[in-house]
Amino acid sequence: MLRFLTGRLLRAALTIAMVVTFAFIVLRLSGDPAQIIMGADAPPEAVEAFRAAWGLDAPLWQQYLRYFGAILHGDLGRSMRDGRDAITLVAERIPATLALTIPALVIKLSIGIPAGILAALHRNSLLDRLVMALAVAGFTVPSFVLGLLLVLVFAVQLGWLPSGGQESWRHAILPIITMGVGGAAVLARFTRSAMLEVLGQSYIRTASAKGVPWRDVVWGHALPNAAIPTVTIVGFMVGSLIAGAVVVESVFSWPGVGRLLVVAVGNRDLAVVQCILLLVAGTMVASNLVVDLLYGVLDPRLRAGKMGAQ
Amino acid sequence: MIPRRPLLATPFAALAAPAFGQADNRPSITIAVQKISNTNTLEPLREQSNVGERIFFSSMWEALIGRDWLGNLAPQPGLATTWRRISDSVVELSLRPGVRFHNGDEMTAEDVVFSFGRERMFGATLATAQGRTIPIGEGMPTPRPGKELPPEVPAVARRAWPALERVEAVDRMTVRFHNATPDVTLEGRLSRAGSNIVSKRGYEEANTWLEWARRPVTTGPYKVAEFRADQSLTLVAHDEYWGGRPPLKQIRFVEVPEVASRINGLLSGDYHFACDIPPDQIPNIERNRAFEVQGGTILNHRITVFDKNFPVLRNPLVRRAFTHAIDRQAIVDALWAGRTVVPKGLQWDFYGEMLIQDWSVPRFDQAEARRLLREANYRGEPIPYRLLNNYYTNQNATAQVLVEMWRSVGLNVQIEMKENWSQILERSPTRAVRDWSNSAAFNDPVSSLVNQHGPNGQQQQVGEWTNEEMNRLSVELETSVDRARRRVVFRRLLEITEREDPAYTVLHQNATFTAKRKDIRWKASPAFAMDFRPGNYGN
Repeated sequence: MLRFLTGRLLRAALTIAMVVTFAFIVLRLSGDPAQIIMGADAPPEAVEAFRAAWGLDAPLWQQYLRYFGAILHGDLGRSMRDGRDAITLVAERIPATLALTIPALVIKLSIGIPAGILAALHRNSLLDRLVMALAVAGFTVPSFVLGLLLVLVFAVQLGWLPSGGQESWRHAILPIITMGVGGAAVLARFTRSAMLEVLGQSYIRTASAKGVPWRDVVWGHALPNAAIPTVTIVGFMVGSLIAGAVVVESVFSWPGVGRLLVVAVGNRDLAVVQCILLLVAGTMVASNLVVDLLYGVLDPRLRAGKMGAQ
Repeated sequence: MIPRRPLLATPFAALAAPAFGQADNRPSITIAVQKISNTNTLEPLREQSNVGERIFFSSMWEALIGRDWLGNLAPQPGLATTWRRISDSVVELSLRPGVRFHNGDEMTAEDVVFSFGRERMFGATLATAQGRTIPIGEGMPTPRPGKELPPEVPAVARRAWPALERVEAVDRMTVRFHNATPDVTLEGRLSRAGSNIVSKRGYEEANTWLEWARRPVTTGPYKVAEFRADQSLTLVAHDEYWGGRPPLKQIRFVEVPEVASRINGLLSGDYHFACDIPPDQIPNIERNRAFEVQGGTILNHRITVFDKNFPVLRNPLVRRAFTHAIDRQAIVDALWAGRTVVPKGLQWDFYGEMLIQDWSVPRFDQAEARRLLREANYRGEPIPYRLLNNYYTNQNATAQVLVEMWRSVGLNVQIEMKENWSQILERSPTRAVRDWSNSAAFNDPVSSLVNQHGPNGQQQQVGEWTNEEMNRLSVELETSVDRARRRVVFRRLLEITEREDPAYTVLHQNATFTAKRKDIRWKASPAFAMDFRPGNYGN
């Protein structure tokens, strides 16, 4: 187990180092933060002064080494635009994003998984077709389109809910629904496919033939075996809790990490972008690690395989 | 058991309330903007942007010489009531009595001297004669949390005041501005963004520069209650405002980056105003009779800029062909629904006596453009056109129209999409044509033509264009006190930069549009600035 964990952690560290390096190269080669932050009309001497003050006039490899060294010492840098620590800026925005993504995740799970199971258990029925039609619609409509449609109906036409902002819990309803619908659709489709595959297995037939009640077959045999691909998808969803609301936050003017990321990338505010990427990479890696461990819990063969190998 | 004391107290409290204070019945409004501040500060010397102008003027920041925000933007008395010339390089101003800062202090000459001092404005930079690159002094402070100025602040300040030596407090309510060189534009510079007055005590009491720059103590009719970077700015009435009691209790600017979201928020009643409305959305909004769109031309011209180092463009005849191939009025009519104008070159009406009335942009003449290209022996070599994705309103559509207009006279212009200004300005063999806009910070061509295309201007500093006569005359325009001669020089500068050796060509005047509920009585300024002073709001 220790070797397994160590290997995973080393791979995670390598992934994060690659993410940091990739982001540095892409951001720095695609624009000069000084000119971007100072704007089109900034006097050249102001741009130069900014560049010198932030070390942007040094060779790129020096800037990279300095930046990477600082990260290794736990210093994620300061925002060139804001002047404050990048970690402080990002930390300020995390609660707002989680206020959307966690309820949205709950919606995805509570609608997507039961809908997928129901559709699979009633394969080719009217219910199955209805659920899948809704899932395809939810899956294919982009979140910015769905968001604007919801605003048009519930804010502009009916006047029931606010169109954007973050003043109260009512402001969160439309963004949460927008995010929840798309994710639920994805989960419904994956769960249905996984269930159908499992329901076609010989051990399900055997259990049914032995007279095991259908409910017990589904709960005891089908669901645990179908859970593995679903858990993988849910793992990705958990991993994207921090920065998975970029589009929705922009449409609904929700001041979360996603909007901060958009602004920071636009301004080539490297420290803030890197901070968010590190956070996202860390969350994703941790989530994958948990998913890997859950595989062992869900599938006794994986546990046995590992023990056998040991 | 119900406690008796609160029950007994309630009716008395209700009766007593009017005696202790009047209810504030003034309305509060919410304004949706695309961006509140690019730099996340509220300091005009750092936030050099149009979006900044909207929130700064005239709600928060004021200068000694103000502007006619609802008229032609001409200078008018502001925090100074009168001013007079002591010499060609010295101006004396009498301060308006009874002006109170947001912290309750009365504005005095000491605050004015501080506002234009090294600590707040110039840092380690030195006053210098015009026509030379501005030196940055040794020991510029590093931008770590503290009271040191961000390095770009002194650089911007020196660009605004290149030769200001000192400000002298003659007495408690009189100040003198001493310039190192003769300058007829001192009064204009006093009215420009950045020449605004801060409370000395307010600045000194802030723990850090950033803390101050996010909650500056100024004299405007509204003061900062809360600033949440990238999210919202809440201003509340400054009831001791020298110009009278502000008509609004609170103004809340909220950042709504998507135009569709701003319009939806307006229509649903979440916002009272929605700014930065593209012209093509105006009919959609006004279809609803409860709403209207205000606004129009502002002090900003859209221009096309040439890099004369690009091989084909070295020949001025080719650049001249560019300027004659554009049907500017067609662009104004088609893309702006006629809501803006083709100006008289790079100048504005508020230049007053410096306005060259009989000047115009190069006429639309395709035959002349073709003749120039033949004379230049241009053989259809591709000319790159670096383009940002709608940084300016209608930018992409305008670019596509321009390319077709140029193509119709034989110019082979090819659009290259870029992501940011750094990529647009990057020095490389493919830099040839790009978009830009030019503003006038004050009512003199020094603020625009010289500032942006002269020897210290961006176009020359990034190496796109230079002209020896232009540079010599720019210095003369900056330093000459002979007003008649200055007009001659300005005309010659226009001839060089727009006709003989084109550095740029003006397309049209820019415009900005604000949507609002029709029942709100409010007049838009011919600028990005939104004026909510007494007299300009009601419903």
